[in-house]
Amino acid sequence: MNDASPLIEAAGLAKHFGGIFAVDHLDLAVREGELVGLIGPNGSGKTTTINLMTGHLRIDGGAVRVRGHSVGGLPASGFAGLGVGRTFQITQLFGRMSVLENMLVPGLARPRAHKAHVIREARRHLEFLGLAALENLAAKNLSGGQQKLLELGRALMLEPRILFLDEPFAGVNPYLRDEIIRFVQTLHAEGRTFVIVDHDLDAIQRLVHRLVVMSRGRKIADGPLAAVRENQDVIRAYSGA
Amino acid sequence: MRRLDIALGLVLAILAAAFPFLVNAYWLHVMIIGMMSAIMAASWALLAGYAGQFSFGHMAFVAIGGYTAALLATDAGLPLPLGMLAGVIASAVFGGIIGWTCLRMSGPYLAIFTMAFSEVLRIVIVTEVEVTGGAGGITVPQLFHAQTDFPYYYLILALLIVSVGGMMLVVASRWGLFFRAIRENEQAAAAAGVKVTRFRIIAFAIASSLAGLAGAFYAPYIGILTPDVASQDQMGLVVAMAIVGGMESLPGAVAGAIAVEFLVEALRSYGQWRLVLFGALLLFTMRFARNGLITPGWLRLRGLVGLGAARLAREAAD
Repeated sequence: MNDASPLIEAAGLAKHFGGIFAVDHLDLAVREGELVGLIGPNGSGKTTTINLMTGHLRIDGGAVRVRGHSVGGLPASGFAGLGVGRTFQITQLFGRMSVLENMLVPGLARPRAHKAHVIREARRHLEFLGLAALENLAAKNLSGGQQKLLELGRALMLEPRILFLDEPFAGVNPYLRDEIIRFVQTLHAEGRTFVIVDHDLDAIQRLVHRLVVMSRGRKIADGPLAAVRENQDVIRAYSGA
Repeated sequence: MRRLDIALGLVLAILAAAFPFLVNAYWLHVMIIGMMSAIMAASWALLAGYAGQFSFGHMAFVAIGGYTAALLATDAGLPLPLGMLAGVIASAVFGGIIGWTCLRMSGPYLAIFTMAFSEVLRIVIVTEVEVTGGAGGITVPQLFHAQTDFPYYYLILALLIVSVGGMMLVVASRWGLFFRAIRENEQAAAAAGVKVTRFRIIAFAIASSLAGLAGAFYAPYIGILTPDVASQDQMGLVVAMAIVGGMESLPGAVAGAIAVEFLVEALRSYGQWRLVLFGALLLFTMRFARNGLITPGWLRLRGLVGLGAARLAREAAD
C-alpha cells in the first residue's frame, strides 16, 4: 500500500459499446478525504465510469488502481472487499429481504465478521439514517426515498474507504434531499471519501469541493467549483453548442 | 408458538418411527419413494427457491448419483455404500461444473441449458449400452437382504433428516443469506461484497450432491436403474412437489413431496385423469398461492392455535 497514491485512480480508462466510446481514455484520481462531484449531460459516461471503477463493467482499455495497486479484472465483490462502495442510479435492493437483512449481507460478507457485531453495526447505521423502526419490513415495501437511504446504509456496512453515489438526489423530495446532503456531510466529516454523480447542480454545489465534468465520454473539466463554472467547454457542453 | 412446533415435531417423530408397523408393504414403499422424492424436492427448493437458480436438470444429478453407485458396485466391485458415497461426490462435482458453466445465465436461459444437459445425459445413458445397459437399464445389487423394506425405510428417513437438517443449517447461516441476496439481485449482491460466482457454484454443488444422494439410494432400493430416472416427466413431478409445498420452505417442499406422492398413488384408479388433477392443482397453486399450499396452511393453523390458546388463557384468568 502506498499512502501517497490516490485512493482510487482511473488512468486512460476506456469502454466502448460497439463502435461508440462510452468512456474515452479518462484520467481521474480521487484522494483520501475528497468529496468530488461528477457531472455531465445525459450519455456523457458518468455511470459507465462508476461501473468501471467499481468492477461492475469490464474495462476495454487503461487501468483502475486502488491505492496504487492495479485492480483491473477484479469482480465487483473484490472492489467491495477493498472498501470501494457504491449506490445505483436505479436503487438496487434485496426486495423481499428485510431492511435489517439488507444491511447484514455486506456486513457478513466481510472476512472474519461476527454476526452479533454486524447486527449492532447495522442497527447503528439504521438509527443514523432514521430507518431503525423499519428493520423488519421487506425492503420492497419502503418508499422510494427510504430505499435510497437503505442503499446508502448497505454501502456503509462495507466500511468503505470511498463511496460512489450514482444520482442520490434523483426523484427525492426537497426534505429528503436535504437529509441526504446532511448524511453525506456527516460521513465526510468522519473521514469518508465520496464521488457523487447527479444532475441536481444545486445539491452538488452545496456538497462538493471539486467538480469533474464529462461530455461524450471525456473529461472536459476538473477543478474547484468556481473555476469549473466559468469553463467555456462546460458551458458549451451544457448549452448543447 | 414454539411449543406448537415442538409438539408437532414430537408427533411427527413418533409417527415416523412407528410408520412401518402401521401400514402394509405397499404404502411403506410409497412412503420410501415419497421421502426420497422429498430429498430431491427440498434440494431443488434450495437451488431454485432460495438461490434463485431455476435448474431443470436436477434429475440428471439423480441419474449421476444412481449410475455412479451402480456401476462402481457392479463393474468395479466396490462395496455399495462406498459406491453410493462416490455417487454423491460425483453429483456434487458435476453440479459445481454445471453451476460454473451457467454463471452468466439466468431465467429461461438457465432453465433451457440445464434441461438440455439433462436430456443429453439421458441420451448418452441410452446410447452407451455396453456400460449403462441402455434403455433396458442396469441391475443393481441390494443394500439390505431383509424380508421387509424396514431397513430401507429407516435409512431413507435418516438420510432425509440429515440432508434437510443440513440444508436448514445452510439456509440459516450467512451462506443462506448470500443465496437469497443473489436470488434477489446479483448486481447488488456483488456490490455488497458477496462472491456471486463462488456462491452460485456452491448452491449448485450442494443441491446436486443431495439429488445424487437420492439417486444413490434409489438404485439399490429398486434394484434396477433405467435412463427414465433423468426424464423431464420426473423433473416436472419434483418441481410440482416443491411448488405445492412451497419453494421457499424446505419443510414445505418435504411435505409437498410426500403429499403429492401419496395422492398420485391414492388416485391411481383414475388413470391419466389424476395427472390432469395435478396439473390443475399446480396451476391453482402458482396463481393463488405463490408460497405453496403447505406453508401458508401451517402458518394459518399456528395462528388459529395461538388465538385459541390466548382465548383459553383469558377465560382462565377471568
